[in-house]
Amino acid sequence: MKPLTPSSSAGLGGPAWLIASRSAAAEAFATAAMPDPRLEQWRYVDLEFDIADYQLAVTPGDAQFEADAGPTAGRALVVDGFITELEGLGRLSELSAPPASPAIDTGADIFATAHTAFVRDGVVLHLERNSAESDTYLMEVVATQSSTLSFPNLTVIAEEGSQSSVLVFCRSADDVDALVVPRITIEAGPAANISITIVQEWGDMTRALAQLHTSIERDARVHLGEVGLGGVYSRLFFTVDLQGSGAHSEISGLYFGDEDQTLDYRATINHQAPRTTSNMFLKGAVEGSAHSVFTGMIRIEEEAQQTSAHQTNRNLVLSRDASAESVPNLEILANDVACGHASTVGPLDQEQRYYLTSRGLDRDRADRLQVRGFFEEAIGLLPNQAVAPGIRRIVATKYAEAQAAGRA
Amino acid sequence: MNALEIKNLDASIGEIKILRGLDLSIPKGAMHVIMGPNGSGKSTLCHVLTGKEEYEATGSVKVQGVEVLGTPTDQRAGAGIVQAFQYPVEIPGVTLRDLMEELAGDQDDPDAFWARVDRKRDEIKVGRFMDRAINLGLSGGEKKRSEIFQISVLNPAVAVLDEIDSGLDVDAVREVAEAVEAMRTNELAILLITHYDRILRYLKPDRIHVMMDGKIVRSGGPELAAELEGTGYEAFRKVAEG
Repeated sequence: MKPLTPSSSAGLGGPAWLIASRSAAAEAFATAAMPDPRLEQWRYVDLEFDIADYQLAVTPGDAQFEADAGPTAGRALVVDGFITELEGLGRLSELSAPPASPAIDTGADIFATAHTAFVRDGVVLHLERNSAESDTYLMEVVATQSSTLSFPNLTVIAEEGSQSSVLVFCRSADDVDALVVPRITIEAGPAANISITIVQEWGDMTRALAQLHTSIERDARVHLGEVGLGGVYSRLFFTVDLQGSGAHSEISGLYFGDEDQTLDYRATINHQAPRTTSNMFLKGAVEGSAHSVFTGMIRIEEEAQQTSAHQTNRNLVLSRDASAESVPNLEILANDVACGHASTVGPLDQEQRYYLTSRGLDRDRADRLQVRGFFEEAIGLLPNQAVAPGIRRIVATKYAEAQAAGRA
Repeated sequence: MNALEIKNLDASIGEIKILRGLDLSIPKGAMHVIMGPNGSGKSTLCHVLTGKEEYEATGSVKVQGVEVLGTPTDQRAGAGIVQAFQYPVEIPGVTLRDLMEELAGDQDDPDAFWARVDRKRDEIKVGRFMDRAINLGLSGGEKKRSEIFQISVLNPAVAVLDEIDSGLDVDAVREVAEAVEAMRTNELAILLITHYDRILRYLKPDRIHVMMDGKIVRSGGPELAAELEGTGYEAFRKVAEG
């Protein structure tokens, strides 16, 4: 394993632009500190680890494709940060210049800086103008080695009028104490129509801090589906920039934390152009001593007139020691907009329980049906429905196990 | 043996006493109607019968000779008493078919159960919302039909219909009444709660009971509804107090 030093960064190779970009970030990383928990973006969580406790793997572990994604238009397998299989997709290191997508502000966050400094390579999906692909592109991200950290990277460049869907599937075995810092960048050109579904099934000891940045141009649409199921700590920090008039962002997802998991969602939706629309619908549950955080910022710039932005986050708290934070925020600088947010945190509904038990189901079964129904609304909205049966199964098993263990 | 036998039933919610020594027996195959003004305790009676948690109740409620007071709600359904709710709750993400699948798992003969589901679905015309979330976005009449459908499928010994006619227009009341009459068998005892006599024009109840202040103050045949129409509830209050 290699420590996170400038020389480790320099040894990663690739084209000159990538080496230069890593080198600048490696320098910044050398003096960067773990996040200040008083900062708004890090409130409500306790990281309980140091990035310096992890090192870069020198070879990838053994892993194969596992996701049941149906026919694929292209696929990539990324193991411990190494691209070990690649079909029908490109590599970041093959680009002669950096992708035009805006870089994430490396000054803000040690994990973003580390990603830029130590990313080994990235997967690139470049969709040509007006191309339409009905099969999905699959990227599987696997962590196999404890004490390692990795920086999986995906860049989607969708040119004008292109259409496609992407599935990102993340996993590790339960005994893998690894740190994974993925970055996904999506750039949707005018009138492009892109969907991306991210399913996170990290093992019990894995920590993940993912960054997702989406920019959406005129009349384009990006639908993000997010499913957070695993990891002792799993964070998704995402920003959506609605840059062109008529741009639309759709976000649907669910998360279910059990035992001692922390699931941490930080969303920022920036409406930067007129007639842009965004809609977010996230549902989560926590049991045991699990903790979830959702903070959502909708920011509407002065020029973004006639926009509409809606955000819904509903949380089920299934046991006494579990907790959920739901913090929606609006910052509106324009005057002709329609915005709304709904946020709830609460236990299972007593009236639903009464109704279902009155039909002869015992309390545990009635509650299982209610939990299934709670998530069903979110599962039904995921852009990739091929993953839905597997997610239903995992959610049902998680809750049944919690009931059996007396945690919910 | 009566299908339902209630003796000296008291019930309260917190400090508030709602039922005060209520007695009522319904033989199998009979339909009894309870009428009463707002606040007389009609809905409380329904919820106490099906074991809603917030009510404290004492006395006796026997379903087919088995005491159910103090047992959890699901066991009461198992004992044979099921309620059609006045305000059935919405269950997001759970369809009527999902519920039927859950119930089918408990059946000794699932094939016979599904045959009954299919038959009742067509009779009560709920096919259109079998695959929609329970009660979500249904009209008042559709909700009542869904409730009657569930009871018909469960095939209990006692059906409690709480204001099955509330919030419906004239045509819907007639439709619901027809569905209630269609439920009737020689085995099923029906307790129908209503505020108005409107639905009684389309039904053939065996007994009518007037409920006030948490107990039955008068019982009689179907003609009692007409008398009530003429005098109003207040006349009965005076009789009860006198």
